[in-house]
Amino acid sequence: MFNFFENKSLVLIVVTVILILLIGISSAFSETMGQIGNILSVPITPVQKFCTFTGKNIEAFVLFFKDTKAIKEENEALKESIKKLQSENRELTKLKEKNMELKKALRLKGRFDAYDLVGANITAMDPGNWFNIFTLDVGSRDGIKADSPVITSSRGLVGRICSVHFSQSKVLSILDEDSVVWGWSEKGWSLRIRGDLEYKDRGFCIADMIPIEMDIAEGDLIETSGYGGIYPKGISIGKVIEVKNQDSDLYRFAVIEPSVDLENLEEVFILRKKSIEAGSEEK
Amino acid sequence: MKLKIAAYAFTIFIILILQTTMLEYVKILNVKPNLLLVFIICVSISRGNVEGAVTGFFTGLAQDMLSGRIIGFYSLLGLYAGISLGSVHKRLYRDNFIVIVFFTLVLSIAYEWMVYFLASFGESAGNIRFFYPMVHRILPEALYNAFTSVFMYGYVLKLNKKLDALEDK
Repeated sequence: MFNFFENKSLVLIVVTVILILLIGISSAFSETMGQIGNILSVPITPVQKFCTFTGKNIEAFVLFFKDTKAIKEENEALKESIKKLQSENRELTKLKEKNMELKKALRLKGRFDAYDLVGANITAMDPGNWFNIFTLDVGSRDGIKADSPVITSSRGLVGRICSVHFSQSKVLSILDEDSVVWGWSEKGWSLRIRGDLEYKDRGFCIADMIPIEMDIAEGDLIETSGYGGIYPKGISIGKVIEVKNQDSDLYRFAVIEPSVDLENLEEVFILRKKSIEAGSEEK
Repeated sequence: MKLKIAAYAFTIFIILILQTTMLEYVKILNVKPNLLLVFIICVSISRGNVEGAVTGFFTGLAQDMLSGRIIGFYSLLGLYAGISLGSVHKRLYRDNFIVIVFFTLVLSIAYEWMVYFLASFGESAGNIRFFYPMVHRILPEALYNAFTSVFMYGYVLKLNKKLDALEDK
């Protein structure tokens, strides 16, 4: 055994092979392998919480002095827009009442009736620059499962849970290149929305390979369609802000601005399936 | 030896926390420095390939545990980053800070390309590009890393000096 450790290149080869095997195993069984992360994620969670809290306060403190001038100007502009909005608001209230009546008439059930909402704080970001993944302070102890959808209080889509540890879980944002969401435009077209390296720097997602005959234009609102089984139907994704021709003339692609400001999130909600909970209680 | 392990583990822990929390607020050009990689580079240049490889492996493993998708990915990259830089350690004039800045630049570029390639190798292989990631992610990060490496190298040298002095007693 001692000789084994003397031979450095042999150790290197063995370690390399083990790591490659681990990569394969962990990408296939991410649920169970995620438990390895607990060794580190459990002690680090409270420290991260504290640091994020402090960092945010420092940022807010600095911004306070930086922004005073801008805030004054903004204030004037806002006052004007408030007037406009108030008149719009009155109209919308009328529409809303009408909508409620119609909904009652149709006996529509709430979209998220099958889910519990679990609130969570964002405690940390991914250590690298490539992935749009962030950490929440709830985990398997709160009944969180992988692939649960994550939304904000305004019912805008944030992403989905990509891995769960005991006291924390990771969210794959819809900006990430690995994220795919099936969306539905208000005109009734199905879209495949994904993250893109170039557009995510500006905070946008894209939908590509849109056949030319599909009627899609700037300003179209996009919701989740419920295809793919991860996201329930009817969560707001965002708005089309640009439609471009792709390399060939047969397809176009659309740039979508998420309805959620994904850069400045603090609190999110996880949709936890009720049926799973009920099942575990019966046992 | 035990003291060294404790000191290194503590350093990695602190860097991990900084990396995932505070650094988010000092982003320049949408990019933050990779302090974990800078730490691996500094240790392997000042201490050689065995220490570099071990540090690289465990730093990567810690990163794997926290980024939480695939275990072994960063460990493997860290291990080879440590070995490759540690192997040139004997041929360098190690007190020169230009050496560390240069190697940080080169290795950061190589390392981040590897991460980008391997991460997008599976499903999004068709989307691999060259120009955009180089200009908007890799180069800014490499420059940022090179800047921080000066301070990190100073810290690693000082830490090892103290540890050596303690062990001699």
